[in-house]
This record gives sequence, C-alpha cells and structure tokens, in this order.
Amino acid sequence: MAKKTRIKAKLKKGIITVKAMAKHAMLGHREAKKAKKDVNFITYMTATVNDKLVYEVSTSQFLSKNQYIKFKFKCAEKGDKVIISWLDLKGTTQTSAGKIK
Amino acid sequence: MNRRIFLTLGMSAFAVSLMPVNLKAMNFRESKPKVWTATKVDQAMIELFGTSTAIESNMKIKAPDIAENGAVIPVTVSTKLNATKVAIFQDANPESTVAVFTVPKDGIIDYSVRIKLGQTGTVTVVALADGKLYKASKLVKVTIGGCGG
Repeated sequence: MAKKTRIKAKLKKGIITVKAMAKHAMLGHREAKKAKKDVNFITYMTATVNDKLVYEVSTSQFLSKNQYIKFKFKCAEKGDKVIISWLDLKGTTQTSAGKIK
Repeated sequence: MNRRIFLTLGMSAFAVSLMPVNLKAMNFRESKPKVWTATKVDQAMIELFGTSTAIESNMKIKAPDIAENGAVIPVTVSTKLNATKVAIFQDANPESTVAVFTVPKDGIIDYSVRIKLGQTGTVTVVALADGKLYKASKLVKVTIGGCGG
C-alpha cells in the first residue's frame, strides 16, 4: 500500500507548525475514469498530540494528489509526537507519527 | 535492528491510544453526507451550516490569481476569529465542497491545503464563529496548457 505520511513539525514561540504530505492518488470521479481505476480519495484526516486532537478535516475528491497540508496549533512541547491518520473511501486507514522539533 | 523493533512497538501503541479520540471526533462525511453532493456553494452552505448568509469580513484567503496547473492549487485560510468550523468551497467542480475543518481547542486557524479546480472558478472559505458565518472568496484563473492568459 501507500507510503507513510511524511511529517515535519516545528516549535517556534509556542506555536507548532506541522507540514505533512500524505501519499495518496486521490482519484476523483473524472480521474478514476481516465485511469480505469476505482474512485478513491481521503475523506477524513486527523492529527493528535498527547491524545489531544489538534487537527481535523473531512475532505472531498477535490484535494490534490499526494496531499500536502500545513496547520498550526499551540500547547505542546518539543519532543512530543504528532500522530496523523487518514481514512479513505475504501476504508483504508493509515497512521504515521512525527516528532516536534 | 533494536531501533526498528522499538519503532514498530511505538507505532502500534499510538494506534491503540488514538481510538477513543477518533470516536469523539466528527466526521462530516458520515454526519452530513448531503454536504458532499451539493452542486452549488449556497446549497452546500445551507446543508452544512443551516444558512447561506455570511458576513464578508475577518477572513483571509490566500490563493494564486492565475494557476497554471488546475490539479495543484495551494489555498491558505486564516482568521483570528474564534471559529469552530471552517469550510472550503469552490464553484468550478461538479460538487462544491472541498474540505470541512473542525477547529479543536488549541488549534490555530491557519490551514494550507492543495486543491483541484477543473476550470476557472471562485474559491470561498466560510467560518462559523459565535453562531455567525464569515466568509471570504477569491477568483482563481486556471489556464490549461500553461501559456498564461
């Protein structure tokens, strides 16, 4: 299956900026027809730190493939782990972790 | 080798600790399926927020004026409002809704995503704060062939 989500998290002045790239083809209806594959895209993505939800999004097929996201949050320490997981239309889930630097 | 085993163990531990959080979270795909099939921005807003009247202020949207490649358009949404929900819509694709964010307690609204647009269209971002809707929109020109225009 797909590769792990790449995660980069940086702490600066109390604010953590996370950049992540989820490897996924994100096949919308039109693209799927062209590629002769089933429609499949990430529908739901979350990020947690210390069991606390910091990012949550429900998405559609109109996100680009190999989705690159950026978000910010506060109240976390250096060395804490950011865990990002997603769920796609076929029910596949993937969880990846990255450390805050 | 030891390091690898340690990592794998860590991963599975996270997966387990993640479960209760996921249950609490809101997946709009499941709770509001109609939002994702709406073909008009207004219609999608009504499905998601119950109304389509929004104040055009306090929201910031960053997107290119001209996108050479409609498959990858970076969009950044930011606001200082104490919003609980942020949604991205556009009117170039068959369905309007792109993404719906739920803002957690310690989240800062400064989200960047990359979206697809089939043709030139307007990207609209809407935030729900204190029971009111705020919005901002921007026209993104998609040039096919990459010759500008």
